[in-house]
Amino acid sequence: MSNVFHPRPNPIVAAMYTARDMDVDVIVMHGPAGCSFMASRPLENAGVHVVTSSMKDSDLIFGGAPSLERTLKDAKERFSPRTMAVIGTCASTIIGDDIKAVIGRVDLGDTRCFAIDCHGCLENNTEGAIRALKAGAQAGIIPKEEADRQTALLKAATALERKRGMTVRPYLSPAESPTKLAVCRRIGDILSSGGKVAVVMIAKKELAYRFADMFEAVDSARRELGGSTFLVGNLDPDKGLPRIRGYCRDIITDLEAKGVTLDRVIGGLDEYAVIGDEIHDAVRGYGPDLTVLLGICHSYPELDEDCILVTDQPRELKNYLDQGLTAVGEAGSHSMVMGATSIVTLETAQTLRELIG
Amino acid sequence: MRRIAVYGKGGIGKSTTSSNISDALAESGLCVMQIGCDPKADSTGLLTGRPIPTVLDTMRDNSDRTLEDMVHEGSNGVLCVECGGPRPGTGCAGRGIIAAFQELDRLEAIDVYRPDVIIYDVLGDVVCGGFAMPIRNGYARDVFVVTSGERMSLYAANNIATAVKDFRRDGYARLDGLIQNSRGVEDEDSLIDEAARRMGSEVVFRLPRSATVQECEKMNRTVVSGAPDSVMASSYRELAKLVYDRSENISGGLRFDDCTGCDDCE
Repeated sequence: MSNVFHPRPNPIVAAMYTARDMDVDVIVMHGPAGCSFMASRPLENAGVHVVTSSMKDSDLIFGGAPSLERTLKDAKERFSPRTMAVIGTCASTIIGDDIKAVIGRVDLGDTRCFAIDCHGCLENNTEGAIRALKAGAQAGIIPKEEADRQTALLKAATALERKRGMTVRPYLSPAESPTKLAVCRRIGDILSSGGKVAVVMIAKKELAYRFADMFEAVDSARRELGGSTFLVGNLDPDKGLPRIRGYCRDIITDLEAKGVTLDRVIGGLDEYAVIGDEIHDAVRGYGPDLTVLLGICHSYPELDEDCILVTDQPRELKNYLDQGLTAVGEAGSHSMVMGATSIVTLETAQTLRELIG
Repeated sequence: MRRIAVYGKGGIGKSTTSSNISDALAESGLCVMQIGCDPKADSTGLLTGRPIPTVLDTMRDNSDRTLEDMVHEGSNGVLCVECGGPRPGTGCAGRGIIAAFQELDRLEAIDVYRPDVIIYDVLGDVVCGGFAMPIRNGYARDVFVVTSGERMSLYAANNIATAVKDFRRDGYARLDGLIQNSRGVEDEDSLIDEAARRMGSEVVFRLPRSATVQECEKMNRTVVSGAPDSVMASSYRELAKLVYDRSENISGGLRFDDCTGCDDCE
């Protein structure tokens, strides 16, 4: 297989987001001040403090332990965290800084602090998340069973990307989204003519806050125009880490307040890679004329001309469009959902509302 | 399990000493693993009589690798491992040592082979974080430094002692003493004694100068196996016993300080 050479997700970032999922209060990145900068900023919107040991050239030469030691002390003093995770980067890993030993040297009182052995050159970005889970379980932050369950799901996610997603081809250029008008007209037309529309969300974690907006938009379109709908999403509040379960409860509560009830809830927000078949079975039972897929669309096993795909990933969009599928992009969604506690407006949903209203 | 690191200046006879210690311990019925931590990958040659594939080459070239690709039996059944490393002038050899250890850990080498003793044979000076790996993170517990009375050799020994002391505060390795590999320097014994005293250590054994060592090296064998009845072989056996007796027996895997906080641990 030829080398995949478009930019892809970063294991260090995956470890940071996993630390967030484990409700870690402070993430210390032991590396250069700017490492993973774009990704760490939004984490602060989600209530996690992210700091770095700000390694300089002299740390590379003489070792980064003193900088890390100082950072741990400062973080302890400033935030008095319950839990703190220290994540390795390329720089600290190559020079062999001993993060665990440094943690042992600092008096952190009742703060639970643990090291995540990680760097950017791991085979897959999910490996960063897996290492974070393992470290979290060893530190007693999460149960070992949950770490094992998540690890299996992450491996399934990597396999899914390789089979049908972003690593299918050596290079995918980011695609610009077509306007949402055509797809919304199509939804409206089907409903007006008494047809059946399925809305299927297979979302990855916090992105559900945005994709779930489509449920309400299609539901009110049905009330206005007729036809029927089948709403299904991976919003099982009894699956995954506490934080992820909270997302499900937030979204379901918000939908209920808007008078929308899902027909089916299948799988949790961390199960996007393994629930495609089960959701597909449920949708087939309904027999829709049109299926609107939201999130990790390629997790759904049968994508054809009767599907509309909504993704937040510009390269995934390119992947879909190249296959002749109908797809639109909701770029920038991730930064919009960080720290959200209720549904965030989706452009496709908003377009549908404007069209009908 | 005993976890022993042998350090010393390049060319001072570390690999010869390590290999003879390993061979003598194995001969006495112990299961011994010798891990060469030099990119030149020439630590275990006297035990195997041939170059063996290195851990790092195997990691690069073989995605279906197993432990059998990296652990090779030498004389008296010593389990020989060479970390290997990049071509001179390229890459980062220190990172290589770390990655090789992690690979052995990943493949659970210790659970599979259950050695009584691990001997790490480590390149000269502790030049960077990678070459300190054996004396950090709980890999080796006991450190012996091989030295002659030559000035540069003693200088290197002193650097190693300093590094070990630095890591000592994290609860890692300890310096057990110097092994004198005599080179016929004038007043060699007293020179080394004095240097050992200054580094707060002592000479635990003096290996005599002997032509037998070179003769056996020419045959690509250790003295213990190549000239088993020689005076030098007895000397190595005596040293092996001393190193074994002086080092600490601690349970655990490749590392002795592995996590003790979760259900996986005893």
